[in-house]
Amino acid sequence: MITMLPSFDLQRVFIEPWTTGFPITIWIVVMGILVGTACGWVGNYLLLRGMVLIGDAISHSILPGLVIAFVVFNSTHTIAMFAGALAAGVTTITLIEFIHKRSRIKVDAAICIVFTTLFAFGVVITQMLNTGGAVHIDAECILYGEIAFVALEPPVHLAGMALGPASVLRMAVISLVSLLVVMIFYKELLITSFDAALSKSMGIRANVWHYGLMLALSLIVVSAFEAVGAIMVVAMLIVPPMFAAQLSRRLPIRFLLTFLHSCASALLGYHLSVWLDCSVAGAMVVMGSLLYVIAWGMTSGSRIIKRWAPHQQEIVPQS
Amino acid sequence: MRRRTFPAALVVMVLLLVFAATAHAARVSELTESTATERAIRFFSFQDPSLRYALGGSILLGISCGMMGVFLVVRRLSLMSDALSHAVLPGVAFGYLWNMTRDPVAIFIGATLCGLLGAGLVQAIRSTTRQKEDAALGFVLSAFFATGVCLMTMIQNMPGGNKGGLDKFMFGQAAALGPTDLILLAVVTFLVVGMIFVFYKEMTVTSFDNAFARTVGIRPQVFHYLLMLLLAFAVVSALQAVGVVLVSAMLVIPACAAFVLSDRLGPMLLLAACFGMTTGSTGAFFSYVGRDLPTGPLMVLSASTVFTAALFFAPRHGILAKILRHANRSRRIKRENALKAIYRVLEDGDFRTEHISLNDYANSRRQPPGESRRSLGALSRKGLVVLAPNDDTFSLTPAGWRRACEIVRNHRLWELYLTRAAHFAVDHVHEDAEQIEHMLGEDTVHKLESFLNHARRDPHGRLIPGREDIEGGISRTKPTAA
Amino acid sequence: MSDSSAPPLEVHDLSVAYHQKPVLYGIDLSVPAGQLVGIIGPNGAGKSTFIKAVLGLLRPSTGWVKIFGDSYEKNCRRVGYVPQRESVDWDFPVNVMDVVLMGRYGHLRLAQRPTARDREIARECLEKVQMLPLANRQIGDLSGGQQQRVFLARALAQESDIYFMDEPFAGVDAATEAAIVELLRELKQHGKTVMVVHHDLTTATTYFDMLMLLNMRLTAFGPTAQVFNPDLLQKTYGGRLTILTEAASMRHQDSPP
Repeated sequence: MITMLPSFDLQRVFIEPWTTGFPITIWIVVMGILVGTACGWVGNYLLLRGMVLIGDAISHSILPGLVIAFVVFNSTHTIAMFAGALAAGVTTITLIEFIHKRSRIKVDAAICIVFTTLFAFGVVITQMLNTGGAVHIDAECILYGEIAFVALEPPVHLAGMALGPASVLRMAVISLVSLLVVMIFYKELLITSFDAALSKSMGIRANVWHYGLMLALSLIVVSAFEAVGAIMVVAMLIVPPMFAAQLSRRLPIRFLLTFLHSCASALLGYHLSVWLDCSVAGAMVVMGSLLYVIAWGMTSGSRIIKRWAPHQQEIVPQS
Repeated sequence: MRRRTFPAALVVMVLLLVFAATAHAARVSELTESTATERAIRFFSFQDPSLRYALGGSILLGISCGMMGVFLVVRRLSLMSDALSHAVLPGVAFGYLWNMTRDPVAIFIGATLCGLLGAGLVQAIRSTTRQKEDAALGFVLSAFFATGVCLMTMIQNMPGGNKGGLDKFMFGQAAALGPTDLILLAVVTFLVVGMIFVFYKEMTVTSFDNAFARTVGIRPQVFHYLLMLLLAFAVVSALQAVGVVLVSAMLVIPACAAFVLSDRLGPMLLLAACFGMTTGSTGAFFSYVGRDLPTGPLMVLSASTVFTAALFFAPRHGILAKILRHANRSRRIKRENALKAIYRVLEDGDFRTEHISLNDYANSRRQPPGESRRSLGALSRKGLVVLAPNDDTFSLTPAGWRRACEIVRNHRLWELYLTRAAHFAVDHVHEDAEQIEHMLGEDTVHKLESFLNHARRDPHGRLIPGREDIEGGISRTKPTAA
Repeated sequence: MSDSSAPPLEVHDLSVAYHQKPVLYGIDLSVPAGQLVGIIGPNGAGKSTFIKAVLGLLRPSTGWVKIFGDSYEKNCRRVGYVPQRESVDWDFPVNVMDVVLMGRYGHLRLAQRPTARDREIARECLEKVQMLPLANRQIGDLSGGQQQRVFLARALAQESDIYFMDEPFAGVDAATEAAIVELLRELKQHGKTVMVVHHDLTTATTYFDMLMLLNMRLTAFGPTAQVFNPDLLQKTYGGRLTILTEAASMRHQDSPP
């Protein structure tokens, strides 16, 4: 099986992308960093609130939202897509709450039911549109995304200057907005994540922030969707914050670590994908996960050994 | 007794299906149909061997996934199954890379190992870091799936090899099932049904009450790992037909539908298996009729349809049943309040006459006469009052009298109880009695009566109707009241 | 009945730590047979932890536990357990009879089904707690007190010699509380030993023969009349073992945060 691996060629994997392939490389890597950072910043709050899997659910159920928005508005305009994504996000949360509150189904099963159903619905509609010839959305695009194509988009011109591909710019704006939101509302988001009752007594309404966060999540997911696909978005929401949480307990540091993690995994991931000739988004997540595993080993190495080695008796002080 | 027979029946059913799918494999020349109807007809003629594989496979996976799902749902492992099913993807790729062909056995082994590795990693992260379970699940899901995606795309871009059917592992294609897949499915289904049958007792008690299971000498860890192993088998065998992305839905949704419908584990297992079979074959049918449509999403959609129906229409735990029960109760409370008001009118007239004028009644309830007439109409439909032909007066039927007495008795007994036993002030007890009077059962009333020594007067000095009043009707009540 | 001279429960130097935070230190005790023992102490004193450690549900960091002179694993059939009512999911699809039959599982071999005799025993146990008429109800339909009775019936069906009950009186009605006390007395008459985690100091003296006062350490263990005095209670409830806790957690600081 090892022989199947493409031979490692330093020239091809590391030098060429930054010389002859520079115009392509730079946009893909920038897009990777932006997606990772924007998703990661929301993800940090999701992690704090124990809502990681709600993020997972929403990223899946965005798909039918996008497809229906496309059918209804008959365009792939950004606003239409945002509207579809928001509707899908709200529907997901409402349905999960409904099933969980109105029946004996527990919340984990409710999440599973809702997002798989919505995702299945999205896939079927997509396939039917494909067969009908109305549009061609590749099933693989739903899963893997097409980050490699961002460099092929015609660049947007502003005041005669070529700024860059439209989707990268859109992602940049979204990242910037999410950065601003995180900075301006840091205190509110933190307190509602930590203690909803306390925040209420202080006049901060946890519900509003909960739905605000879901709104931000839907927007970020839909902008990242095209680049990295439905399931990779989940990875971008989870892996960078987990890396950060493994290394620090302080939220501002975690944001910084999330950003660094995104940069590292985008860069390394791109080179991995060049080497193996595989999905770029996938490779970025693989490198990100490896970084997490390294952080995990470094911080809890002793505990891992203790847990899996034959049991040693702990010494508890006697008085 | 019944619990013992049903898994046996299932085993027989599975065996029959396996034989039916392989026994008469008459070869039919490849036809080229065009319309959906023709394909539907062709589906039901069962003459196409690949179709028989697809259908047999879908039914088998429906059984194994449905039954496994029951334990996942009651153990709250639904999201674990989601993580595990995504985690098998790199295993599929490794299985393919083993000898560069879509060999079901190699893929089965690779995927199972990967799934178990993923489940183990979740456990490891949870026990050695501060990360919560959801984060650990999410990490394993995305890390493994990303690795799988990398390998799969790498394989797609590789020269040579037989890649047929490999791209169907994402969303599933039942039509791509071959004889080897079917045998694997049959073995796994047999294993799942058999293990659940043999270890039914152990699986139930460890799912219900882990700590207690240990104290009766059953080791929960062993059965947890057995369950994970079976889960990995079920997931992996279902991959080709349902696909990696949605296989968790085939585990969770039929089981949830069964959960809403049943109160015991045995019937729940049976129902989940049935739902699994039906939704599996429905998915296969639509996928066949729709030609290129992937099977997995169609199976999931039909499963969700069944679930939605169960969620709303389940006889005991369904949403409609709950709404109906609630509506019935509030209608009953309304009726009982009306009866109580009638009793008060009779009491104010010292029970001299059985006939009550509509005006008195409306006044006592402070209602416009129209509304009172409507509420009386509801009572007369229930056979509790008789309206006089001219509509100005009415009287209670014996049944109505009895119920009215009971409600008033409950109310006054409770007031007395609260003032005597709980030392409430007399003017604090009415509101509470208004609520409780509709809920007190006969048993509690008897207890109250004997506790209060069959007292005849409530705290406000009014008569508490006793048994002889209830039995005897209005005419008997008069002398006692006087 | 292997070794009649050995005490039902013997605990030596038992310490337990949760997530590296110590909960119980150096518990030593030996419980004589045929006693009703109340385990008393403030919230977070480690009462449930003690039971769980004895039953091997938690791994102790030091010390050992012997049941009738042997390891718990060997004698687990002689131990009955009533967990806290909140510890299970009452929506679980089983009925009352199914739950009580679980008490018989310790007497069955692997993969063996309950026999007619087991059903008979389960029915008798249900009768004892006056729950037989509700045998076919789904457990979620029961009131809190009824659920607790089902758990008791299940423990009775275990036919053990020593019982551990984790807050059986929590959130039950007066009738159930009286029924439980009645049952405890009956068990004692049959020579069984019962250890009960209890919250209510006012009833502790009337319900139990012996008390075990616990607050991370065993402050006292002995006959109720001797142990239930203001001094020892003050020691259990008032004095917080702050220095001990601090020192212990400092020991654990060497592992990274």
